[in-house]
Amino acid sequence: MATRRQRPVIVNIAEDEDFKVLSEKRYSFNWKSFKKTTTVYKLRIEKENDILGVMGIVDIPAEKRVEIKLLATSIENIGSNKVYDRVAGCLIVYACRIAITNYGMDACISLVPKTQLIKHYMQKYHMLNAGRQLFLEGHALFLLMREYIE
Amino acid sequence: MKHTLMKANTKKHTSGELAEALVYPVTLTPAQKKEAAGQLAAARKKAQEKMNDKDKLALQLLQLKFQVQDYIESKKYDIEKHFGYFLKQYIEILELKRKAFAEDISIDETMLSQLINMHRTPPDYISIRLELHSNNIIPADYWFKLIEKQKEHKIKTDQTLRDKEKKFVHKTAIGL
Repeated sequence: MATRRQRPVIVNIAEDEDFKVLSEKRYSFNWKSFKKTTTVYKLRIEKENDILGVMGIVDIPAEKRVEIKLLATSIENIGSNKVYDRVAGCLIVYACRIAITNYGMDACISLVPKTQLIKHYMQKYHMLNAGRQLFLEGHALFLLMREYIE
Repeated sequence: MKHTLMKANTKKHTSGELAEALVYPVTLTPAQKKEAAGQLAAARKKAQEKMNDKDKLALQLLQLKFQVQDYIESKKYDIEKHFGYFLKQYIEILELKRKAFAEDISIDETMLSQLINMHRTPPDYISIRLELHSNNIIPADYWFKLIEKQKEHKIKTDQTLRDKEKKFVHKTAIGL
């Protein structure tokens, strides 16, 4: 069961050294192959080194939008026996933070979901449906931010 | 390979659990990309039309909060980005006249101008009043840290003060 204790987390850009530990076995995808096409961020608990989640994003200034290309929590944080809850949520909120910092009230984040996961992203993260993509903008974006930040 | 991973995960976890842990990389064909871009643009337009003034204001205040946070957490000092610079931004976001804003936080307009132009060091209570005025969106310690960052830069770089104080130090610890 996920811990109920809240832990402060830090999100940073993943450095070359990090890609050595970002194995497909623990972090679901081959992160090295996304190193050139996305900016990869890692999430860890403050003052700890272990990476609990990773996200690859692309910033698209012309559209005032940040696209989440891929995201994975570490394997022990998937499913009903996960150690920590809301790891993916914190990473999604970090993408929102980047978009808001850059684009203010015009900020938008988006992702291309797997069909089976659409309704869950919408329920869990207030995402809005745009056909092939899901997105957060305006009120929905602010709602998610309010849930996650102090 | 991606589909294999999805299938393997689906065996172990529910789709709800997967959505709480993963965003799978999806590759679209050029035609799908074009369609997706059109759909998103139309949906965003609708979302923007629905956005009320409160949402717009809240997002602009969050933008200012993050800009202040990024600045106080960075090691760089920027002479332009002082307390007054961000206070001016705050008032502009709210689209308030300086007189009206000064009344909101019970200070006179002259003091507000002095704070914006950094002709006066902001007293601690100003940071608290700004926190309360922003409905806690921008915490008092952010304003306080802006003042501290400027003071820190001054104490680190003020050669005139060093020259002035030198005559008061008669002995040094190591005696060099």
